[in-house]
Amino acid sequence: MAQPAQNIQEPLERLKCNWCQGMNLKTDLSCQFCGAPLDLADVVSESGWREAPRLKDMTEFHFFGSTCQVEGEIVPVAEINLGQGDGIYFEHHVMLWKEPNVPMSVLQLPGGMKRVLAGMPFIISVARGPGRVAFSRDATGELVVLPLHPGMELDVREHAFLLASINVGYSFVRIKGLRNILFGGQGMYMDQFKTTNQSGLLLLHGYGNVFERTLKAGESILIEPGAFLYKDSTVKMDVQMQQLTTGIFGGTAMSLALMTGPGRVGIQSMYVHHTTD
Amino acid sequence: MSAMPSAPVVGRSYTCNWCGNVSDGTALSCPACGATVNVKDIVTPTGWIELPGRKDMAKLQIGSSSCQIEGLYVPVADFNLAKGDGVYFAHHVLLWKELSVNITMMSMKNAWKRAFAGMPIFMTQAAGPGHIAFSRDLPGELLALPLQPGHAVDVREHFMLVATSHVDYTWVNSNVWFTTKNGDETETHYPIGMTLDRFMAPKMPGLLLLHASGNVFVRQLAPGQSILIKPTALIFKDPNVNIQLHFEHPNSNWNPWSSYNQRYLWLRITGPGRVAIQSAFEPVEDNGRNITNHSPATRHNW
Repeated sequence: MAQPAQNIQEPLERLKCNWCQGMNLKTDLSCQFCGAPLDLADVVSESGWREAPRLKDMTEFHFFGSTCQVEGEIVPVAEINLGQGDGIYFEHHVMLWKEPNVPMSVLQLPGGMKRVLAGMPFIISVARGPGRVAFSRDATGELVVLPLHPGMELDVREHAFLLASINVGYSFVRIKGLRNILFGGQGMYMDQFKTTNQSGLLLLHGYGNVFERTLKAGESILIEPGAFLYKDSTVKMDVQMQQLTTGIFGGTAMSLALMTGPGRVGIQSMYVHHTTD
Repeated sequence: MSAMPSAPVVGRSYTCNWCGNVSDGTALSCPACGATVNVKDIVTPTGWIELPGRKDMAKLQIGSSSCQIEGLYVPVADFNLAKGDGVYFAHHVLLWKELSVNITMMSMKNAWKRAFAGMPIFMTQAAGPGHIAFSRDLPGELLALPLQPGHAVDVREHFMLVATSHVDYTWVNSNVWFTTKNGDETETHYPIGMTLDRFMAPKMPGLLLLHASGNVFVRQLAPGQSILIKPTALIFKDPNVNIQLHFEHPNSNWNPWSSYNQRYLWLRITGPGRVAIQSAFEPVEDNGRNITNHSPATRHNW
């Protein structure tokens, strides 16, 4: 007679992923939606920075009818097995290999001229299922898997995104303020990823190690501009000039990005100023 | 039976293999350098010791301040500075800071010579209270070198990440150079740079953090013991370790002159003392032209 009771109990027993808030079966070792290990506690520094989950080699997670397997750890590869009708978009130079039968097309982007002037990718490639296609960047770092819930808006440093599912809106946002543009270290534009009434998937590649911090409303932190990786659109970004004066030489100024909450801020520990050819 | 909480072990002590610090051994990592406690050194048959394993988020205690080392590929040194404590660094390694941490310039002695040698003439200093974090933009390892009063270490330029304010920072001539001639033009080469940074804790213990590319290996050389290393692999050495150039010419049966034209450029390291190398190093600058003059060196023709 215990069997029916167990069936009623079972759907309630779920493991919540601390990284993406996805609900998983209690038997899962990694999150089905972002691949974060479910058997490990968050690694958080005393100052409040949380390490991006270290994805175990060959971890697999799902989005729509497709799967993504993360392979390798030093320069990880995202291998996507696209289901029929599913699609992803990406900058073409991050593509590592693909099966010949995976059809490719190009995403129509608004503001083409502005994008060219800003040094942002003019052409975004699209791959559609069924079939396999794999991606990686050319530097040591971590894959940051960000499942986007409906109604989310995320600003990402240009050229930092690896791929996104086709239902995620992609545009760009002009960085406000001349001082931000000149001294912010991120150029004129940031990529903006937006979901409306559907969820989606966004994969970034952070150089070095990636850390995330959730700022409370009004809470601020100063970061090296080249370390900025992503932020919720609710986080305000400004530039603060740090004057460093000396008696003889007059001194110099250092620009730091002032991030003010509420919302998440992601940084990378290897703060190269990336460009793309 | 219910589990009883373990009582502190009276009189227990743990001496860190890496830095020699004595602690009570109850923490998972050495509070002075972050090396994992109770893990044996990994030593090659030739005597190179790998930098001790360090757990992610290992915490170092420096007086009232602390430093947490975060991440593994490009580690971050996250300092929690107490009021009155300070650190100094080259400004480009700053990753983030709290608004409460004040940063100012720290001028260096012999600024012109430093500028001429391509070294930073100003260091930036930060004063507590608050958090401030540092990282370099290269995959590699962080080396924590706790310095006891009177101890010094010579570091190749640009390897320093951050040092506590109790550590003195000066420089010494490397005296490792050679000149080549091309027509009327003489070029001077400095395979390890014109100068070496010297860090010393004069009165109080201090902490020096270095960042090296790739993996780090350390070797303790006996008096008179020599080893040849690639000049650009050198990270640091004890001040009493002697360095000089070594030219090695390979044997060639078909062209006797090539023995003098082809050469391997080495750095001869002679003990006693420690020397540390990195596994990822840039190519040695050598244009292959005839060497017209050089600092004290040894030579071997095969």
